[in-house]
Amino acid sequence: MAQMETEVLIIGGGVLGAAVARELSKYKVDVILVEKEADFGWGSTKTNMCIVCQGGDALDFRPEYHRSKLVWDSIPLMEPLCQELDVPFKRVGELALIRNNEELGKFQKLKLRAEKIGIKTHEFIDQETLWRMEPHVTREAIGALYDPNIAIVDPVRLTIGLMENAVQNGVKVMRETEVLRISREMNQFEVETNRGSVKCRFIVNAAGISVDKIARLVNSDDFVLYPIRGYVGILDKNSGGLIKHEIHMRPDVPGQMNILTPSVHGNLFFGTTMQPALRGDFSTTERIAEIGLQNVRKIVPDLSEKEIIHSFAGFLMFRNWEVGWHECVVQASQKVPRFISICIGYPGVSAAPAAAREVTELLRRESLRLEVNERFIPIRNAPPVFNELPEEQQREMIAMDSRYGHVVCRCETVSEGEIVEAIRHGATTLDGIKFRTRAGMGRCQGGFCTPRVVKILARELGLSEEKITKKGRESRLLLYKSKELLEAQI
Amino acid sequence: MKLSDIDVAVIGSGPAGMAAAIRAKEEGAEHVLILERQEQLGGLLHQCVHNGFGLFYFKQDLTGPEYGHRFAEKVKDLGMQVFLETMVTQISPERQITAVNNREGVLRLKPKSIVLAMGCRERSRGQLNVPGTRPAGIFTAGTAQRFVNVEGYIPGGKVVILGSGDIGMIMARRLTLEGAEVKAVVEILPYIGGLTRNEVQCLHDFHIPLLLEHTVTKIHGQQRLEAVSIAKVNKDKKPVNSTERMIECDTLLLSVGLIPENELSRMAGVALDPLTGGPVVDQWRETNVSGIFAGGNVVHVHDLVDEVSWEAEIAGASAARFTRKEEMEKEKKILKPGRNIRYVVPQTISAQRDVTLYARVKDMEENVILKVGDILSKSLRVVKPGEMLKIDLSLSQLRQLKDDAVELSIESAKRR
Repeated sequence: MAQMETEVLIIGGGVLGAAVARELSKYKVDVILVEKEADFGWGSTKTNMCIVCQGGDALDFRPEYHRSKLVWDSIPLMEPLCQELDVPFKRVGELALIRNNEELGKFQKLKLRAEKIGIKTHEFIDQETLWRMEPHVTREAIGALYDPNIAIVDPVRLTIGLMENAVQNGVKVMRETEVLRISREMNQFEVETNRGSVKCRFIVNAAGISVDKIARLVNSDDFVLYPIRGYVGILDKNSGGLIKHEIHMRPDVPGQMNILTPSVHGNLFFGTTMQPALRGDFSTTERIAEIGLQNVRKIVPDLSEKEIIHSFAGFLMFRNWEVGWHECVVQASQKVPRFISICIGYPGVSAAPAAAREVTELLRRESLRLEVNERFIPIRNAPPVFNELPEEQQREMIAMDSRYGHVVCRCETVSEGEIVEAIRHGATTLDGIKFRTRAGMGRCQGGFCTPRVVKILARELGLSEEKITKKGRESRLLLYKSKELLEAQI
Repeated sequence: MKLSDIDVAVIGSGPAGMAAAIRAKEEGAEHVLILERQEQLGGLLHQCVHNGFGLFYFKQDLTGPEYGHRFAEKVKDLGMQVFLETMVTQISPERQITAVNNREGVLRLKPKSIVLAMGCRERSRGQLNVPGTRPAGIFTAGTAQRFVNVEGYIPGGKVVILGSGDIGMIMARRLTLEGAEVKAVVEILPYIGGLTRNEVQCLHDFHIPLLLEHTVTKIHGQQRLEAVSIAKVNKDKKPVNSTERMIECDTLLLSVGLIPENELSRMAGVALDPLTGGPVVDQWRETNVSGIFAGGNVVHVHDLVDEVSWEAEIAGASAARFTRKEEMEKEKKILKPGRNIRYVVPQTISAQRDVTLYARVKDMEENVILKVGDILSKSLRVVKPGEMLKIDLSLSQLRQLKDDAVELSIESAKRR
């Protein structure tokens, strides 16, 4: 088993861990990031509605909440960050639908509150304007609160962008590496993983839904988190044109939410029904799916269930009543020096840029020496997306590398060239290819491309096809070679 | 052959595409081009290594590859131009085709006419919304079929199949022959989704349990599939909780319906019938976009490959005639689905020559009378959604039509 040493160990390669890694790579400091999954952003980051909010929405945002401040501080940072990392960012604007005077009153209060803290982008629009902006929206809406500033991103691509840029600037990463035990020594930690141990002076605990579990490994129990499960459905790109803005409506049942939003890739996402659930149980239920559809039809009535191509569940980690439901964890442990925990809960993506800066500041206060890395390169180039290139460039790409002319995923028009490139960038699994290239994310959900992607993965990684997994570890796709089962029975 | 001079371009080279292309050539189209995304002609026929193909078309019992080979030979003999490994990415309403391959790069083609023969795809887990976790080991039956028959890998050893479509039942047998244990085929309806012959030859003959009026209620397992919960359903197709039980398995195959593949049709402005999922066509298999024709599973999902080829031949012949600017009778009568009819194809007919209608029922019914307006009334012992109705109408029958719309319906024989 390997034994490594580093100054800072980041636990968790979600959007927050990746943002911290990238932020620290601006300084001359040794950093290792460990991620338990086979790729980055596979926890709370991927089970996400992809909205970059600014706090004027239905969930409470208040100046006294630490979390709100992180979101507001991140607003000016997000777009330039996405540009530097060459990942999608689209300002779509937000419409909060108003159905009656009671709702109008609530939104008026919300607007005032937003103005007080300096967010002055909200405006009320009347029914006619609303229907002109969104012709498919329910006729029950009498108007809306419009915020043109709201944007959408691809959280997994953002995370991969952050990670790749961090690595470019010297951060080391270990995937499929799960933290098992942490022991405290005089001036350092010894972190035991399934792939050997790492000695480090500082720990940044960004373990997502396991953040409190990791904290308990060093007996730092400064916070308690409650997992709340949300459900998200994805609609076919054919429905993508139904709406242009992120639209939400006050839920009729408390505890639910009701959001419909475009994605940067042209699908629609709808999110609904939050309920306490067993941590890590990412399963969906029929009942939740039904409620989800009912709710979203209140926003756009002519939405067809036939257009749902996929759904998933995700977790928001909430703190308890005493601290405030809408509070987050970005703190140095009270009991254990040099141990920082970070968990935003909701909305982690929107708060990531400022949260990463704050973690860096906390590390400095815990006596980490931060000397500026003059060699830091902020720009990262994303692999080409064939489908989005102009025809002339497509021709050039194919002339240069004919694999770009071989379309492997028909629904999303993903070429073999892009899949090979994703593998070169670190994809090792079917899901890795899916999140990096979108192969398998379309309407047939991998029915056509799965055998082809498996073949390319096996070829490029030099493995037999049986070794290829869906998402690492024990998730092999093909258990036997042809005739192997028969031979075993003889 | 110049690419600027194409008479008929056929998208897809499965049992529909090849039949359409051959027929177009025979009908006099000089330059016929086939665009196929796979490495070889034949579409999905390659992975259908079972028999039962061509019983009607060739009056012989062939396997899928054998059936495809016969057409492919003819394509070669007729000297047609074929672009393999070529993905059509766009068709415009002006019939401009954009395609990509690794030799010519990005292709722009402007044929005189187009035949859509893209076939269909399988419904996925996401569309079904099967609750539970997301482990490895869940495949559509067709994807598993490709792994087993083309790639040489067996997805798993303990299998449950959700849905009793034809591919699902065929895969139940195929996996059994490969040494896997197929624990159950689970069907939510009171009857199978596919053909009776497949129920007998694939399930009964191999003692594979068929659980009608059951469904999968939950998927278990984090990494690889470990089990599924199944339950009996009530009349509203909702699971009855008290009947729920777990079946240990490492693989779940889905055979829960096919969807005509019409993304390109949409781009071209082709109107789709929500009942079939395919283009609205007239009896020449022309769509609402002039010069764009369609045939086979892209129009509606057939039961038999023979019918796929026959229907596509109509489209191929019509496309050839279109390139010659031959006038086709345009007087249109609309066919409407009535009681217990899910859909009728074609959706309009000229009523000036013999025509064959294809129809599918919504529900299984016994001792019924099939009616086509006032011109046809036929007793049938049983109708099933899994078995398509084929109705021949003669010109003398059609001449009796008075109204512009004709209704097809299934009436109960008892009520008379």
